[in-house]
Amino acid sequence: MPEIVLKNITKRWGNFVGVDNLSMTIEDRAFITLLGPSGCGKTTTLRMIAGLETPTEGLITIDGVTVFDSDKGINLPPQKRDVGFLFQNYALWPHMTVYKNIAFGLENLKWKKPEIEERVDELCKMLKIEQFKQRYPSELSGGQQQRVAIARTLAPRPKVLFMDEPLSNLDAKLRLEMRTELKRLHVDTDSTFVYVTHDQLEAMTLATKVCLMETGVMQQYDPPLVTYSLPNNLFVADFVGNPTMNFLDAKAERDKNGKLRINMYGIEAEMQTEDVFEMPVKPEGEENAQSDVNVVVGVRPEFLEIGSSGIQAKVHATLPSGMETTVKIAYGEQIFTSVVFGGVDYAVDEQIKVSFRGNGILLFDKFTGKRLCSGALKLAK
Amino acid sequence: MNDETNVKIEREESVKAGKWLKFRFWLKRFFTNPANIILVVFFVFLAFFIFYPLITLVYDTFAVSSVTETRYGVKMGELTGLWWYRMIASEYNTMYFWKPLGNSMLMSFLASIIAILYGGIVAFFITRTNMKGKSIISMIFVFPYIMPSWTLATFWKNFWQNPDIGSGTGGMVYNLTGLKVPEGMVYGLVPCAIVLGLHYAPFAYILIGGILRNMDANLEEAATILHASRFKIVRRITLPIVLPALMSTFLLVFSSSMSAYAVPQYLGSGRFYVLTTYMKSFLNQGYYGQGYIMGLVMILFGVAILVANQYVTGKRKSFTTVSGKSGQVSYINLGKAKWVVSVILIVLSIFFAVMPLITFALESCCVVAGDYSTLTLQYWISKTPTDAQNGLVGLFFEKQVWRAFGNSLLLSFLCAIIAGSSGVLIGYAVSRRRGTKLAKGVDSLAFLPYLLPSMALGGAFLTMTTIFGIGKSFFILVLVGAIKYLPMASRSGINAMLQLSGEIEEAAVIVGVPWWKRMVRIIFPIQKSTFISGYLLPFTSCMRELSLFVLLVAPSTTLMATLLDEWMLWWPQSANALNLLIIVTVLVINFAVNKLTGASIDKGVGG
Repeated sequence: MPEIVLKNITKRWGNFVGVDNLSMTIEDRAFITLLGPSGCGKTTTLRMIAGLETPTEGLITIDGVTVFDSDKGINLPPQKRDVGFLFQNYALWPHMTVYKNIAFGLENLKWKKPEIEERVDELCKMLKIEQFKQRYPSELSGGQQQRVAIARTLAPRPKVLFMDEPLSNLDAKLRLEMRTELKRLHVDTDSTFVYVTHDQLEAMTLATKVCLMETGVMQQYDPPLVTYSLPNNLFVADFVGNPTMNFLDAKAERDKNGKLRINMYGIEAEMQTEDVFEMPVKPEGEENAQSDVNVVVGVRPEFLEIGSSGIQAKVHATLPSGMETTVKIAYGEQIFTSVVFGGVDYAVDEQIKVSFRGNGILLFDKFTGKRLCSGALKLAK
Repeated sequence: MNDETNVKIEREESVKAGKWLKFRFWLKRFFTNPANIILVVFFVFLAFFIFYPLITLVYDTFAVSSVTETRYGVKMGELTGLWWYRMIASEYNTMYFWKPLGNSMLMSFLASIIAILYGGIVAFFITRTNMKGKSIISMIFVFPYIMPSWTLATFWKNFWQNPDIGSGTGGMVYNLTGLKVPEGMVYGLVPCAIVLGLHYAPFAYILIGGILRNMDANLEEAATILHASRFKIVRRITLPIVLPALMSTFLLVFSSSMSAYAVPQYLGSGRFYVLTTYMKSFLNQGYYGQGYIMGLVMILFGVAILVANQYVTGKRKSFTTVSGKSGQVSYINLGKAKWVVSVILIVLSIFFAVMPLITFALESCCVVAGDYSTLTLQYWISKTPTDAQNGLVGLFFEKQVWRAFGNSLLLSFLCAIIAGSSGVLIGYAVSRRRGTKLAKGVDSLAFLPYLLPSMALGGAFLTMTTIFGIGKSFFILVLVGAIKYLPMASRSGINAMLQLSGEIEEAAVIVGVPWWKRMVRIIFPIQKSTFISGYLLPFTSCMRELSLFVLLVAPSTTLMATLLDEWMLWWPQSANALNLLIIVTVLVINFAVNKLTGASIDKGVGG
């Protein structure tokens, strides 16, 4: 069963560290997305697993076979790793017809001609590109080229499929369609998918597990909904979710009853949580004007409720999209984001009352950025 | 119903009445756009100066235009089909026409093959393997292309010459080893093809290397993933993708070789004739009609080659250049061979780049040509006539040399200014009015001289000189030079402008910056290096051009290259000294501009 294991993978170019000490296990038949801003090392990671790039240090096994080991000097070439790779720009060979493009890999595997024809037909039917078989890539639209690239990658029935931002060159509508098809394809082909993207929505909707990276370091590796509701740190919390999470600098302390008191820009509240953590203290040498701020409260827009009670604030702007409405709320100098279901239109500068809802409110360490706890936030009366 | 018809008629009448007014408005609007003015002016000017000489050329193939020609029983000023008959159908046709044509084609074919093999292999090693010393190789490798085309030819002669053949003096190999190579190695088809091939190899290297470097590495990686071996990838993926570029290189080298004059002139040695050399001797002897027929044939070949080139590069398989994001190409590991390969390539490049200069220097310092035991500096610094008994004093004090030097510099400067500035203007106007018929027309007109072999273009302008009474003046040299090098300049200009989005200029239009100021202060500075290569290319090409001007110079307008052509056969030492002077001048100017502006010869079309 194709399980992929990475142990302490590091890639350096001179002094520049592309990927830093990455360890992860990609389970059999998983759909993993490598997510992160551009330049974070996600494509490099993918290329290293595929064998197109050589890691500086570490160990990679695919399906129990060690394909790379810096200590033992093992480095299997890409063609021996039995993987498929879908490139961002499709990399279709311009001088070959669609048929030839798909058949090329099978010829290399010494398949017999009738078998090749059968397989190509099968794939063309599956991806709805039968009528283009004799065309050249330059005569196809972006979406059709994409399908040919997928067919070519799937043809030798690889157990592991790598995809490097395969949808980023498509228009918005087609991208949405292809997402659905990729998810179906994952089940139909019964293989492991590793998918690189910088689009957090794509990562969330497709994956069984999301690996979020920043500057070569893995930040979180969890199922998408866990990453969304329990981000490990401020970076993850900020990167995942749209509109982004609200961050409120605050001072947290325990009162004599053991209750967790929070003060955000003068707003008094109580955090109710079952998580146990140590109260962050300002590290020595840290200079900060707001001397007493020690935590950041993270509130997803959907947990910021506009209602009849709560903090007095006013509407900064309203952005209705039909199904939901994003409301920008001004409180003093701060602007917060709230999402309301349905189309509601507030007038600019309208006075409203805001409160916190649910128990998905997060508390982060101001200094390390780490998540401390999650729970409910009750405003002090 | 009736009302409707009435209204319709009324409207039609008012339309008719307003047509003239509308046209005037349109005209006014049309000419307020500077781009349109530029296009119209260049269209008229280029159409005249390209087509008029061509028409007179065709006309003169039927005309009797010299006393010599009346020998065949035709009268001066008559029209006759005799020249065509003599060239194509008479008993002399093999000697006069088919043989030189065949020689030309064979020589060009072999030269193209050599250029592509040598240039292509070097390009492959540099872009696709982990060979050492890439930067130094790619620097010296393009040297022979910067130097005048006859450099390698004279070098070849200096190197292999022995007392039994040619001028009867000994060359480097003979002097050092006593080895006498057969004549076919020194003069004739084989050396001509080799020398042309070596001269154009850097051109092939630049074209093929450019494609290989820009080729998306993902295309090769995709094949690796699909289990193709390294060799198979090169054979099935890399080669087919660069094939159009290879074909295109082949055709361009072929066409350049067809119009090469200096090399077959120096290495033909009176026995091996090609179209250009035969044409020159026809014209020299006054057989204009027959010479012009050869020129016309060369032009037809040029056009046919371009059509073929369009077909090759424009096919449906042509690749879409979506550049990949994998910047780190995985180089082929040559192992220990990487040192061997780089040493071989460095030695070869240095041999063809530096050795010519050394042999010219040595030859120019010999009392007896080729005899290194008799070194002297008299060919350089003697104030009295030299031992060669030709009435020439040392190079530095020879008036002819300094006049030619001045002429060459002035000519190159003027051609570069005219062609370069026209290139900038054409680039601007064509890119601003992209897609219109007028822009397309000017674009193709400006590229047309590229197809006309230099020698034939010179011939065409020669037919024109007699008509306007400008004769063989300096003006005609400037005109023909500016037109011949316009394609290089207009290519650079158009390329530079297409990279520049229109908004950059529009931002200045909005705040009311006048047109000339937009050009000088905004557009030119942004694309400076590309524009300047549009000036640099004509300048260096003009400095080393021979075949274009050889028919048009008069004693008062002698250029360095044509002076060399005169000296070459008779006075090898002075010729070698002059040759060295030309090459050094070209190199110095090239590197000076390169350092000052960052523009380099590798940009633009070349040719």
